Amino acid sequence: MTALSRPARWSAAVIALHWLSAALILGLIAHGLMMVHGRLSAATTFDLYQQHKSLGFVALALTAARLMGRLCFAAPKALSSALWERRLAALVQASLYALTLAAIFFGWLAVSASPLPIPTRFFGLFVVPNLAGPDQALFAGAAFAHEAAAYAIAVLVALHVAGALKHHIVDRDDALTRMLPRW
Amino acid sequence: MTRSALLRTFILLAAALAALALAQRTAPAAANWRIDPARTEIAFAIEAVGFPRTEGRFRRFEGRISVDFDHPERSSVAFRVQSGSVDVGSLSFSDYVRSAAFLDAERHPSIDFVSSSVKRIGDSTVRVSGELTLLGVTKPLTVDVAVKPAVSKGGHRLDFHAETRIDRLEFGMNSGFPLVSRDVRLIISSEAAEP
Repeated sequence: MTALSRPARWSAAVIALHWLSAALILGLIAHGLMMVHGRLSAATTFDLYQQHKSLGFVALALTAARLMGRLCFAAPKALSSALWERRLAALVQASLYALTLAAIFFGWLAVSASPLPIPTRFFGLFVVPNLAGPDQALFAGAAFAHEAAAYAIAVLVALHVAGALKHHIVDRDDALTRMLPRW
Repeated sequence: MTRSALLRTFILLAAALAALALAQRTAPAAANWRIDPARTEIAFAIEAVGFPRTEGRFRRFEGRISVDFDHPERSSVAFRVQSGSVDVGSLSFSDYVRSAAFLDAERHPSIDFVSSSVKRIGDSTVRVSGELTLLGVTKPLTVDVAVKPAVSKGGHRLDFHAETRIDRLEFGMNSGFPLVSRDVRLIISSEAAEP
């Protein structure tokens, strides 16, 4: 596909998935911080952990759908930014996909390897299978990787937002607006 | 002595003997105090690494407290707690605690304590020794119980308070150890009314 035949905007499906994922991923980071550091009661903490696991699987489904969307729908034409800027933007975006998948994978692995196995019931509907059996070392490693990935996502989201704002305010192009839903 | 006087004496004697026999049967026995479920709490607390302290209580139980003030050693206590009635503050958390990982309420529906000896060790303290059955495993347990007259409502009431620790590993409750502590603190308070 040539640059000229590309659409001016992202497809509606990609836009919807982008903002749903953004809300869910940022929500999950805040949710995770609260359940780990919130000094809440044991019952509330337990319920937050169960909710976090269910929401994590929703994030997995959304991320998979977003990757499918990128394959099925054409991306809009490239912006007239410098090559290094376009490369940086592509790197940040690819890293966001990779880190989101990594955070979900390590979260799932930590839940599976936990020395205190608590069945993951997806919103109470069905039990999600475990990836491994109880293993203290694997649990500790996976939990650390999950947390590190979450912090890295927070940093990359900040870069991603800074890039979008730079396009909108400094370059005055449509990088941001073409990802906004049209009401 | 007339015939009627003889009969009267006989009846009086019989009545006196009967009263004596009845008195001997009832007087030395310990009296059963009625446990007030609304003022009884069977609670526990357990620590874990990277997780807040879990505090819970059992909603359904039955018990018998028998008190003999003159002979404290003839007093006794027994409690049967329904393990499925555990409440740790949320439905899903309670479900998990009652699952096979911890209380295994389906296979072991009750947690029982039966005293075998009661000793007075202070003005208002008794040492109750007995056996605790949890997950089908019976182990000796000794608890110091503070006993004092209760202030609420009319009539004679007694207030009991006891705290102790058990090692859950002794009962085969191993889940999550060592992340979840082996020590479980038990806090039992009860109020009972005079029979």
